[in-house]
Amino acid sequence: MSGDRPALDAVPAEPVLPPRSRGVIALDPDACTSCMVCARECPDWCIHITSHTEAYVVEGSARPRQRQVLDRFAIDYALCLWCGICVEVCPFDALRWAPDHDYAAFDVRDLVHEKDRLAGWLPEREDEGCTDTSSTG
Amino acid sequence: MAEGMTAAPRVEAALSGLGASVSEEFGSTVADVPRGKWAQALGRLREACGLDWFDWLSAVDEMDRPEPGIRLVCRAQSAADQSGVLVRTLLPADDLRAATATGVWAGACWHERETAEMFGVHFEGAASHDPLLLPAGFDGRPLRKDFGLAARAERPWPGAVEPGSATLGRRRPPGLPAAPP
Repeated sequence: MSGDRPALDAVPAEPVLPPRSRGVIALDPDACTSCMVCARECPDWCIHITSHTEAYVVEGSARPRQRQVLDRFAIDYALCLWCGICVEVCPFDALRWAPDHDYAAFDVRDLVHEKDRLAGWLPEREDEGCTDTSSTG
Repeated sequence: MAEGMTAAPRVEAALSGLGASVSEEFGSTVADVPRGKWAQALGRLREACGLDWFDWLSAVDEMDRPEPGIRLVCRAQSAADQSGVLVRTLLPADDLRAATATGVWAGACWHERETAEMFGVHFEGAASHDPLLLPAGFDGRPLRKDFGLAARAERPWPGAVEPGSATLGRRRPPGLPAAPP
């Protein structure tokens, strides 16, 4: 692997990612309220959300309250242009940038990441994600 | 002054007498010139500021602004020190004509052909107005804001689903003409 292919050898085996890399958009399903803001702001129409309403009882409250329960949340990475508008507009920080980038697929349908897969992209540590502030000053 | 900028006073001197206004925006020297002086201004900038490398030319649809029109934008820079200038001019909505820049940089030809087909700008004196990217006989100006995208008309908008629902509601996507009754 050396000598005759210097250009290839110069490519690091592990990529060196800059801070705040826009690799993939991760979803925190527990934070999502199915408010639809991201799906409506998305310029590529690549976010699909369905939800249903569920009543729940709060002790001391006269009537049951209602909340949205997320059924489906999917991002079609075949259409996504990584603009990050959905991450910016989410009122509950349910969408976050994660540095993972190696999710190319042989079948275009495998680029539709459903809720569970999106949740799996959540950075394990906060500092793996987009919390770098070194260039915002 | 940011790296990659031709100094504003130098640009002002090069364009003196042409009615240009020079400013600095987002780390770039920007010259707004009157439409009638477009090619002349570009030629002077090339000579006086050494802008021997044509970067790009395109346009912005400003038909929805108080002064409606298509704004031509061109950037050129010096190959020697990478300093450059962004040059703009506004073509009024009812008269989308400008002089060709191919006399200044021959390489502007492709960019002008693309700008012509995408925005409907006519470049006077250009050697060719043949479509560059669109098929022959294509009707419409795809980069104009009033151009309807067929895919947007056919595909249901995911944002039409209301919270707590799984079916499309009546909400219409922004930026599209209203649904036919």
